[in-house]
Amino acid sequence: MTTNGQVKTKYAFYPGCVSKGGCPELYEAVVQVAEKLGFELDDKALESAGCTGAGVLSKEVSDPINARTFAMAEAAGLEIMTICSTCQGIMTQAHHRLKDEEYRAMINRDFLAEEGLEYKGTTVIRHMLWAIVEDFGLDKLKSMVKRPLNGLPIAHFYGCYMKRPPELMVPKEFAKTRKTALEDVIEALGGKAVKTSGRGKCCGFPILTSNEDNSMAMLGDHTLDAKAKGVKAMVTPCPLCHLQLDGKQADAEAHKQEEIDMPVFHLPQLVGLALGFTPKEMNLQRHLVSTKSIEEELGIGVEVKA
Amino acid sequence: MEVKFAVKRYDPITNADKSTQTYTAEVDEGDMVLDALLQIRDEQDPTLAFRGSCRTGFCGDCTMTVNGKGAIACRTKVKKAWDGAEDGAIELEPLKMSRQMKDLVYNAREFHWNKFRAVEPWVDPVQPPEKGEHLVPGGHDKHLTESMRCTQCGLCDQGCTVLVVDKTFVGPAALTKAYRVVADERDSRKRQRLDKLSLPRGMWDCTHCFEASEHCPKYIEPTDRIFDLHDMAIKAEAGPPKVVHHYKSFAASVKAHGWLDEGRLAIETEGFTNVKGLMKLLPLAVKAGLKGKHPMPYMLHKKRPGHEQIKRIFEKWESKG
Amino acid sequence: MPQHDVLVVGGGFAGLRAALGARASGADVGILSKVHPMRSHSSGAHSGINAALKSGDSWETHAKDTIAAGGDLSDRSAVEVMCQSAAEDVVALEHMGVIFNRDEEGRIDVTTFPGSSQARTAFVGDSAGHVILQVLFEQIVRSEIRIYDEWFAASLLMEDGMCKGVIARDLRTGELHPFHSKAVVMATGNLGQMYNGGTCSLTGTGDGVALAYRAGVPLIDMEMVQYHPTTLADRGILITEGVRAEGAHLVNKKGERFMERYDAEAMEMSTRDVVARAAMTEVRKNRGDKGHVFLDMRHLDKARMTARLQETLWLMDDLEGLDPSEALIPVKPGMHRPLGGIKIDTFGDTGTPGLYAAGECASTGAHGANRLGGNSLLDCIVFGRRAGESASRYVRGATWSPATADLVREQEEMLNEVTAKDANSDTAGAIRRDLGEIMDKNVGMVRNLRGLRKAANSVAKLQERFGALGIRDKSGAYNVELRAIREVGNMLDVAQVIIGSAEARQESRGCHFRSDFEARDDENWMKRIVAMHSEDGPKLDYEPVEAG
Repeated sequence: MTTNGQVKTKYAFYPGCVSKGGCPELYEAVVQVAEKLGFELDDKALESAGCTGAGVLSKEVSDPINARTFAMAEAAGLEIMTICSTCQGIMTQAHHRLKDEEYRAMINRDFLAEEGLEYKGTTVIRHMLWAIVEDFGLDKLKSMVKRPLNGLPIAHFYGCYMKRPPELMVPKEFAKTRKTALEDVIEALGGKAVKTSGRGKCCGFPILTSNEDNSMAMLGDHTLDAKAKGVKAMVTPCPLCHLQLDGKQADAEAHKQEEIDMPVFHLPQLVGLALGFTPKEMNLQRHLVSTKSIEEELGIGVEVKA
Repeated sequence: MEVKFAVKRYDPITNADKSTQTYTAEVDEGDMVLDALLQIRDEQDPTLAFRGSCRTGFCGDCTMTVNGKGAIACRTKVKKAWDGAEDGAIELEPLKMSRQMKDLVYNAREFHWNKFRAVEPWVDPVQPPEKGEHLVPGGHDKHLTESMRCTQCGLCDQGCTVLVVDKTFVGPAALTKAYRVVADERDSRKRQRLDKLSLPRGMWDCTHCFEASEHCPKYIEPTDRIFDLHDMAIKAEAGPPKVVHHYKSFAASVKAHGWLDEGRLAIETEGFTNVKGLMKLLPLAVKAGLKGKHPMPYMLHKKRPGHEQIKRIFEKWESKG
Repeated sequence: MPQHDVLVVGGGFAGLRAALGARASGADVGILSKVHPMRSHSSGAHSGINAALKSGDSWETHAKDTIAAGGDLSDRSAVEVMCQSAAEDVVALEHMGVIFNRDEEGRIDVTTFPGSSQARTAFVGDSAGHVILQVLFEQIVRSEIRIYDEWFAASLLMEDGMCKGVIARDLRTGELHPFHSKAVVMATGNLGQMYNGGTCSLTGTGDGVALAYRAGVPLIDMEMVQYHPTTLADRGILITEGVRAEGAHLVNKKGERFMERYDAEAMEMSTRDVVARAAMTEVRKNRGDKGHVFLDMRHLDKARMTARLQETLWLMDDLEGLDPSEALIPVKPGMHRPLGGIKIDTFGDTGTPGLYAAGECASTGAHGANRLGGNSLLDCIVFGRRAGESASRYVRGATWSPATADLVREQEEMLNEVTAKDANSDTAGAIRRDLGEIMDKNVGMVRNLRGLRKAANSVAKLQERFGALGIRDKSGAYNVELRAIREVGNMLDVAQVIIGSAEARQESRGCHFRSDFEARDDENWMKRIVAMHSEDGPKLDYEPVEAG
């Protein structure tokens, strides 16, 4: 128990490459918000874990690498917490395949034994979004809000990996919490979740290399649809979506020949703002699309003590 | 039970402005949407056009949009659709990715079958044995067998995110068909096919967003089959140079460091000698770099502890072939 | 104006195989079908295809089983051709790319289907039909054979005593076009839509049979309508015999394996006619439950079922919400396929120059009075190929001139007559439902003179209603009303022949069971019934069957 009476939950933290590479602002926001919520992020357990493969590497090599990660969390007796939908998605799929005992035995034998590791098939992997909804609780989150979002219309943008394949990502036992997890968090923070047509669609990031036109068209459609629906900002649990929605928005504007100007938050940043962190603490200045308009809407400028 | 259907009707001559017509039907609890439509056509309105053939979910003909979502009418319970109806009626429209020809009939030829043909969907055997069948010890690959369940119903295409922005993308249905041929051990043109599938609008335009897998009524998991095609292409070094570079660089980075080096990835993807491509990266890199967001090119990438183990796993995998 | 050496009407197994056969022997081929070929009923065939592929089996044994199952009425030469070609034709499918389940050596695996004395049915899980159709279609695309899908063949162009093509309606536009061809292969499949609750697809409306019949081509074996023993009780959806091949039991409401009473030796592995009648008898004797009996699969190995019967498990789940590892599956016999059709020889020749036929719309007589599971796909493949090859040979030697403009005009006017008529409150669909009721009740598994006469009268009344039908939909585009009228007209004509032939055969044999003539009568009925069109209804003739 922490001083303010919260149940402290400890996770084997798996930050993924993007939060340490392309989106360092995310990593820092997560660390601060997690502490505030009382999540203990153990960054030692998976210190030597590898990349999930991100859907780029063949499953033949990424499954053993992921099994290794699971084995390390298992040995530490901890659930894994991810902050990236792609990491979460790829890991969940590998986790599912590794339920097959024969397959798991092969991976253990051929790849992990040499390092003295064995994966027994028990590891749980939870995205921070789910941890907030499932382990922490929306009511408690609500009670901690210091700077409510004042009904600000915000579009939830899940990206592709948080919801699909549905039988793995939103299984029956989690249907209640996961179906509308992001909307529920927005509402708990005092915002208004606005449904857009792109909410569960791909942001276009994965085909940036192979077909930039299509990638930009997808990005443009999603952000412009949000704009047309009066949305003031978007929020995503996926740093790859953020790289695209924020990082490439200028290119989408050029592609669509239309101004978009849609601020995009990482989920922990939005939570952090509502909990009273300053824009600077949440590293909002690092975004390519300015978040000033939102800060003004929320009357930020006057410091609220976090 | 009494049920209402709101059908988005259209006829190029007699109903060009696409009115919605609502039908009320008394159906049995166990009826499928196709049963109800047949009943309506026989008893109320013989002009109502929809497709349908086998009644058992094997032919892919009666695919339509039910309450906004692609569905096989003969495998969709009316009761379930009625429970999910939002505006007091089950909404029926044709599949959305193609032109509406009449009522619930979409243009399958122009959209669907042309894409199907484009992947050259037939096996070209190396040299059939003179006597008897090809020997396939251990049986056919599980995924190949599963991919043959495909009825070309078009639901994966209807779900596809890319087709929304680009109708010329070959799409998951045709790619699943391509997989069926490429994965068939009896085919002799694997490499050629992978090259062809790597042309623009081909398999590398897939975002692997898993929409296709979510929509497939036969659990073929088209997204995974497209992943498999990618894997096979990378192994065979087929595919556009940029994409191959990207994949190789990704793998090399993970192999060497245990995780991904994004700066290196961006540069290697464009190719070190591709000046134009590199220049294109610059504005974003500089802008992002100034904001402290994006790792600058050539930034030294720190190896992650445990990277030797990742490397070992890679080598083990490579040695397995 | 579309023109081909050989025009194949129908895109299922027989049609596609015929087209490939004709193409391989050099002909220019077109395929015309009212649905896209991949939407054909063949896709729904679950079972497999018979061929003596294993040592210990022989085509002769296969032939013997086929004739025994067919109540000795089979045409011996047709059986011989079919069984002798089987192995080669199945291997040819494998070479085209059909994936087949394999045995340990990697060869095509076979399973034992009810009625067969040997393991002889090659299969692909429980979706052989879907896979074979798919692969045939792949080869059609590969061969660049022109496909006219969603075209409806409305009449045959008959002139100078030959068939010179068809007139077909483009369903997209509603326009009629003549297809001039030196030969036509009719492969339009089933006619089961004239029954309610059969296993047949919506496309099975006997179109080819009716077109040939009206053009003066003889039909044969029309009284032989086979019922499948196991269809889902509520909706007549086929449950493959593969389920019984895997060891499923048939039980009545008391849980008794009732086949003991009817065929104690073969039990559930008995032939279709015997099993279907047994299930019906149980229901009649009040040992059924609400008109059905049960398939009991609860003792079967779950993993093996998933591997071999996956599609069937999904069907049961999606349609009935049933898990056969826990629940009994309610089943009843359902109309499955006609054994009769356009009379053909083993070359698919109808006797009318330029007209060939194959598949379920035709009959070589190979199946006699009852068909073995796994022989249907084989029939379509063997005789489909042979019809295509024969047509191709024929067009090489044919002296031919296209049908005259006068004939085309006359036919088109006749076909368009109905479009000028205004509709009353009746619909083609309502007539079809009424026809189904009559056929189910009186021309189903059990027939008798009284019922058949009643059926004949009722069908005559339906013909009158049919004659009064008009059109509501004045648009050409996908005019399904117009198509439904054509289809029900076809079914009414063919129904008359089925009823007439069933009345004529005063004995019980195979799937034809007369409650007023319960015994098989070899003295008088070792013959097949041939039916010809006439102004006063079908004119019957008889053709002896050589026993031995």
